[in-house]
Amino acid sequence: LGHGSGGVLTNKLLESGVFDLLKNPILDEHHDGAIFELDGKLAFSTDSYVISPVFFPGGNIGELAINGTVNDLAMCGAIPKYLSLSFILEEGLTMTEFWEILLSIKAAAEKSGIFIVTGDTKVVERGKGDKIFINTSGVGQLHPKAAISAKRVQVGDKVIVSGNIATHGIAIMSVREGLDFETSIESDTINLNHTVEALLDTFGNDIHLFRDPTRGGVATVLNEIARDTKLGINIQQKDIPVIEEVYGACELLGLDPLYVANEGVFMAIVSAEIADDCLKKLQTFENGQNAAIIGEVVSEHPRQVVLQSRIGGKRVINMLVGEQLPRIC
Amino acid sequence: MVYEIRIKGQVQGVGFRPFVYCLATEMQLSGYVNNTNEGVLIEIVASEKIKDFTESLLSKAPKLAKITELSTKQINRLPKYSEGFHIIKSQSGDKRNVLLSPDFGICEQCSNEIDNQKNHRFQYAFTTCTYCGPRYSIIKQLPYDREHTSMGVFEMCDDCRQEYQNVNDRRYFSQTNSCKKCGIKLTLFDNQKRQIADNDSAVIEQTIKAISEGKIVAVKGIGGYLLMCDATQPSTIETLRLRKHRPLKPFAVMYPSLVALEKQIEVRAEEREILTNEVAVIVLLSTNIQLSTAGLVGVMLPYTPLFQLICQKIDRPLIATSGNLSHSPIIYQDAKALDELSEIADFILVNNREIVVPQDDSVLRFTPKYNKKIVLRRSRGLAPTFILPSFFAQNNIIAMGAMLKSTFTITHENNVYVSQYLGDLEDFDSQENYKNTLSHLSNVLSFTPQTVLVDMHKAYSSTEMGRTIANEKQLKLAEIQHHKAHFAAVLAENNLLDSSEPILGVIWDGTGLGEDGQIWGGEFFSFRSNSIERVGHFEYFPNLMGDKMAREPRLSALAVCSSFFENLDFLKEKFSDLEWNIYQKHLKQAKMLQNSSVGRLFDAMASLLGIADKVSYEGEAAINIESIAQAYLNENGIPNEIYEIVILPQNTLSIQHLLQGVSNDLNQNVNIGKIALKFHLTMIESVNMIANKLNISKIAFSGGVWQNALLVDLVIERLSNFELYFHQQLSPNDECISFGQVAFFELINRNKS
Ligand SMILES: [Fe+3]
Ligand SMILES: [Mg+2]
Ligand SMILES: [Zn+2]
Ligand SMILES: [Zn+2]
Repeated sequence: LGHGSGGVLTNKLLESGVFDLLKNPILDEHHDGAIFELDGKLAFSTDSYVISPVFFPGGNIGELAINGTVNDLAMCGAIPKYLSLSFILEEGLTMTEFWEILLSIKAAAEKSGIFIVTGDTKVVERGKGDKIFINTSGVGQLHPKAAISAKRVQVGDKVIVSGNIATHGIAIMSVREGLDFETSIESDTINLNHTVEALLDTFGNDIHLFRDPTRGGVATVLNEIARDTKLGINIQQKDIPVIEEVYGACELLGLDPLYVANEGVFMAIVSAEIADDCLKKLQTFENGQNAAIIGEVVSEHPRQVVLQSRIGGKRVINMLVGEQLPRIC
Repeated sequence: MVYEIRIKGQVQGVGFRPFVYCLATEMQLSGYVNNTNEGVLIEIVASEKIKDFTESLLSKAPKLAKITELSTKQINRLPKYSEGFHIIKSQSGDKRNVLLSPDFGICEQCSNEIDNQKNHRFQYAFTTCTYCGPRYSIIKQLPYDREHTSMGVFEMCDDCRQEYQNVNDRRYFSQTNSCKKCGIKLTLFDNQKRQIADNDSAVIEQTIKAISEGKIVAVKGIGGYLLMCDATQPSTIETLRLRKHRPLKPFAVMYPSLVALEKQIEVRAEEREILTNEVAVIVLLSTNIQLSTAGLVGVMLPYTPLFQLICQKIDRPLIATSGNLSHSPIIYQDAKALDELSEIADFILVNNREIVVPQDDSVLRFTPKYNKKIVLRRSRGLAPTFILPSFFAQNNIIAMGAMLKSTFTITHENNVYVSQYLGDLEDFDSQENYKNTLSHLSNVLSFTPQTVLVDMHKAYSSTEMGRTIANEKQLKLAEIQHHKAHFAAVLAENNLLDSSEPILGVIWDGTGLGEDGQIWGGEFFSFRSNSIERVGHFEYFPNLMGDKMAREPRLSALAVCSSFFENLDFLKEKFSDLEWNIYQKHLKQAKMLQNSSVGRLFDAMASLLGIADKVSYEGEAAINIESIAQAYLNENGIPNEIYEIVILPQNTLSIQHLLQGVSNDLNQNVNIGKIALKFHLTMIESVNMIANKLNISKIAFSGGVWQNALLVDLVIERLSNFELYFHQQLSPNDECISFGQVAFFELINRNKS
């Protein structure tokens, strides 16, 4: 793209490489759309990926676009099957960069086991985009044992996070802000579907809810759950896994890790009886080693999320209201 | 002729009925008196004596009584009693119009009784009479009768009942009356919930022993638990700081007696008066004793018999600080104290009288030169009574106040109630306490709101709660700008809402959301014909890193300087390279939120002068900069030059010129106390210039910055040709916002009609 302009190159590019790299039997058909068979209940999800910088410590926009939709399907309790992939490229993105993104897409798709079955590429003039935008949509088959719904969340349920929080958001910010940490913080973007599938195999409908705390972080997800269930949630500051460097970066930037975006982390609300076993199981996975039970669902303070602070005292964790205006007088 | 006299105000639980009885009996008049939900009702048979009688009611009323309204009317029916004067049992009605009495500190007579071996209340830790003891903290319902308070569960012994029924006794109808035989019991626990002692004298003895040995004891007082320990043992104080996670914030000190206090610290007449009167507050005194911080120490005297018994025996000053964890409200329930205060205290001294309304100790100070009173925290002894006879607002309003120093105000049956200080609403327990206090007071008064007033700041928890109430009950909701509320509060407190002359409002505080979406805090308003207009402000500078800015004065210094100086290298040493790079990047962003806060300007000065780069508690930087300026003033007097003041278009006060001056002084190694003082003087002179420019001769002051006593003294001294107005019963800090919202709403309504 560095040396091309306009649509001519686009088609050439398309034919000569982009989707070749990602080929599989369905994509090879070259239809206007993909044709496939799927039985039973399905989950369907879509997301667009816009991120600056496109390359960040621990990953790039490509794997983010695959993992994002794969994970959204997994959070529904589904096993991801097929994916569509569309690019909007801005003139000026180099072929090398694009190629690297494609390679990560390929790797991420293979790792999660999802098939890319249809796709599209458009190129826009310089200044009309931000290097590269990606849209993915995915279809998955509901896990036979899954019964994921906010309605099933009940008092006593435990809140589990699958790993260190805020790492991804800080990794992105560290590039954007030029933070030069001693040890570099890397994004933990990863597919969560295999882990989720294994948990569903074992614990079935004792798992009441999965959510991935992407934008708005853990705090936002918890607030949404509290709002939807009309129940309260208590969390313990001391139990929330945060890498020390990430914590330090948050301090520096005046941020609360609970509000920072995540990628390779999911949250599960599970029945109290299986919580410990579920945690143990989760910890056997590479992306679950730092998993922790951080709190529980309570009947007190409906619709509110309350953090028990490490030094005593409890703090109300609110939904972010627009821009964070200072409140201290 | 038969007359009916109705009296409103703070007239229950203050010995008002016996007073009426004695007066009537003395004047040989027949009739009766009783408490109603509206106050006190007197029916009296009198002829020409009626005038004398009503006049005496007003002039001779007990000192704790506060009468807001007295109406006399002749009635055309037979009197209930044509012989003798009677006190009859309270009647309940629908209206709840009586003003709640606050809690009173121990009176002199009760204090003497517990020291007197011959008195049967010798060493009884809950001795009270109609002139003293708890009220608001124990009330569950109106009218104020024993069964409506936490005293209801204590059955009076024969001796107590006799006092209670004897009209000539100080304890006649004293609802808190009890003695060792029939009264409240003490129990001492260790921090493992093991009972150590439950015999009253043993409990007190062991408590005294523990404190003397350097232990920390949580003692249940009037408004909640206080953490007490020996203030003369530094290692104990260190332990308390560590366990309470409170590295630097000063603790209040309880002296055993005024005599003991005056041996160590000079106490001025105004301070002595307020330390020893029934309100029994904490007063910040100027001193350099070891316990002081920035030349100040908060002191109080034992305001309950229990505190008196403990303090006198130990005979040393004790630390007495609210029993809570970090930002949470004071703990007042026994179970919670045993659970949670055990992390801080070695022992917990419980008693079995329930606290219904928790409250912190109130805190006041007086300016050093002109003795102007400044309320820093309005709580026990002062709340919720708010007597402002000239102020009228619509009834049935709830005003939700601000965030960090929350209070609420309700208007009900032509009375205004401003709640006690309810703390930082980011804290869950404070929010619960706020909600509980609101619903409790609403129940007690049978209050139903029609209008909800909130701050414009949507992320204030009080705003959110207000919105929820308005939604649930389908009430009218109005948003009120923070600093306009500050201004309206000080106007209303000084009876100025009807003023025909214009008034300048100088509203300086930390932060509040402005009408232009920026952060305000260095504002000038004009008030004329019911409307408040922003007429000037300090020059905007960037608001850096959200709330972090308020915790790190160095960020204020950076933000202020970055707007006006090219070269910022002189600030670099305050930051790590990493911090420096990030904050520089942030400052270069195009869409920075702007800020005109004088609170942050004081912070910036504190950092530039090398006094504080980060603070461990709110107000730390402000207190320290005031302190060095005051110290310089005391030594050297007023310097004869100040910094240049430049007024930019729209009455915007230039910060650049001020900073230039400060920077020149710093370069020439001018004494930092002198710079701080010149800064204070410059701020005052800027008010002078704005007021002259706008040709306004009355000035009112509000906002947290006006907790600065030096600044207030300088205003009084240097702006003496203006009429000056300050807060009186309320604090200039955000505690006054809820009342200000009511006052501002009143202005809006006047404009409509
Ligand atoms: Fe304020
Ligand atoms: Mg998504
Ligand atoms: Zn007394
Ligand atoms: Zn008795």
